[in-house]
Amino acid sequence: MPGSAWLIFFLLAPVLFIILVSFWTRTISGFDEVWTLDNYRALFDSNVYWSQLWSSFWHSLVVVAASLVLGFPVAYFLAISVTSLRNQIALFIIALAPFWTSYLIRAVAWVPMMGREGALNTILQKLRLIDQPLDILLFSDFAVTLAMLQLYILFMVAPIFFMLAQIDRSSLEAARDLGANSFQSFREVILPQSMPGIVIGSIFVFVLTMGEFGTVRIIGGGQVSSVGTIVSNQVVSVQFPQAAASAVFLVLAMMVGVFLLLRVSNLREEL
Amino acid sequence: MTRGRWTKRILAAYFVVFLLFLYGPMLVMAVLSFQGPQGGISFPMRGVSLHWWEALVNGPRADTIRETAGRSLRLGLLSGAIVAVLALTLSMGYRRRFRGDNGLFYLIMLALMTPGILLSLGTALYWQFLEEPTSLWRTAIGTHVVWGLPFGFLVMVAVWNRYSNAVEEASRDLGAGAIRTFREVTLPLIWTGLLGAFLFGFTLSWNDYDRTALLAGGENTLPLQIFALTIGSVIRPDLYALGTATTLVSLIAVGIFLVVAALILRRRRAAPATADEEFGILESEVVQAER
Repeated sequence: MPGSAWLIFFLLAPVLFIILVSFWTRTISGFDEVWTLDNYRALFDSNVYWSQLWSSFWHSLVVVAASLVLGFPVAYFLAISVTSLRNQIALFIIALAPFWTSYLIRAVAWVPMMGREGALNTILQKLRLIDQPLDILLFSDFAVTLAMLQLYILFMVAPIFFMLAQIDRSSLEAARDLGANSFQSFREVILPQSMPGIVIGSIFVFVLTMGEFGTVRIIGGGQVSSVGTIVSNQVVSVQFPQAAASAVFLVLAMMVGVFLLLRVSNLREEL
Repeated sequence: MTRGRWTKRILAAYFVVFLLFLYGPMLVMAVLSFQGPQGGISFPMRGVSLHWWEALVNGPRADTIRETAGRSLRLGLLSGAIVAVLALTLSMGYRRRFRGDNGLFYLIMLALMTPGILLSLGTALYWQFLEEPTSLWRTAIGTHVVWGLPFGFLVMVAVWNRYSNAVEEASRDLGAGAIRTFREVTLPLIWTGLLGAFLFGFTLSWNDYDRTALLAGGENTLPLQIFALTIGSVIRPDLYALGTATTLVSLIAVGIFLVVAALILRRRRAAPATADEEFGILESEVVQAER
């Protein structure tokens, strides 16, 4: 099939090739097919890389947790509270539309929100919540986390919405008739049903934010770095084998994360 | 019951706040693009003008921007078309089981999960090894299609789930050949799905930065240009105008698709027997779209 050929040539081959190059020697113009472990040795000696990998990992988990807590009520509202199918589809599309726009532009759009004289600082000062403009808003970890939350929360809302939309409403009524209060029916009916959606959404958000570098560059303004920016900096300075080795550990860290998330629920059993 | 109504109200209010969070920054950006000529990149507004939009169309950067936008548009259309065709052939394979269907499914999911920077780096290295120069039309198109394909594939799988094989059998029984059956029976029933797949291919390519960054081979796309303008120089309000314009292009593409789908829906509804089914297709399409 042409589709599988395309995927093998443009996806599988490049990804496997990264692993190969990570064991090759660096030359001025790129790499040479001489086997070496130097790239990994350099990586293990670099404290910067490991602290960065750890902080990217941690940030991604924070974004996953925040998008779950903030996204779940949205999915619940769309799937359960809105009863007409037509309204459901319309509202869902409105919530989903930003997905089809450039994440780069959406990252740029945070700049006027966050600066010292940005909209957020102005609003907070008008409300007299703060006296001095907050400096932590732009070019900070907080700013990057907030922007990533906005960029990727849809990947959490959508899968949970699909799972919840499949709930048979009569089972909710049955739970009520059997005397369950809203907390019980939430725990016994809604949570188990949405679990696969939560896991899929968490994996999406985790993987996508782990590999992020465009947003980090724009909102972090060089003050914040991630594994993604390290890899891209190494590429810019033509250290291809080194970049490949960094990328290999990025993938390994992602696999650890995905594995942990899968431990939360046995996806295959529940789908 | 009153408590249920209050829950609903609170959730509705929360949904509005959520939409503000999603759209707020973009709206602020759109407003700021109408800054006066002396205005800066954040509030306060110093007058209202079309100065920065004018700069976008006629300014010193205008030619580059038009050139890169045209290139992105052609690349997006091509990538949308390829995504639609490949999603169709792949999804048709999944109408029955075949050897390696599980493996291929994981490969398609891998396409969804591989971070752009990784795919970009791997492809750049691979092509250097093959001693082929990278270019938009031979290399970046490949990674763009890889990004759009899983979405298009899932849309098409949803379409086939609602599709009845009986109509094709009937058509064959009436003596139509395979090609004629496909053109006159299958295609009219699935083409909203194809359009959806095309739309994913187009918008994901039109907006892509990560998967193009190392592969453009000297020819910039619009997102690459925007990134260069953001990082390489001082941000000015004309960047906001540019951002607003590209966002509008994406939203208009989605809007056209929805209008077309709604029109088909209404026409089909005139024939009541198939109305429900057709609505089902649209619904499951939306439902599957993000999976």
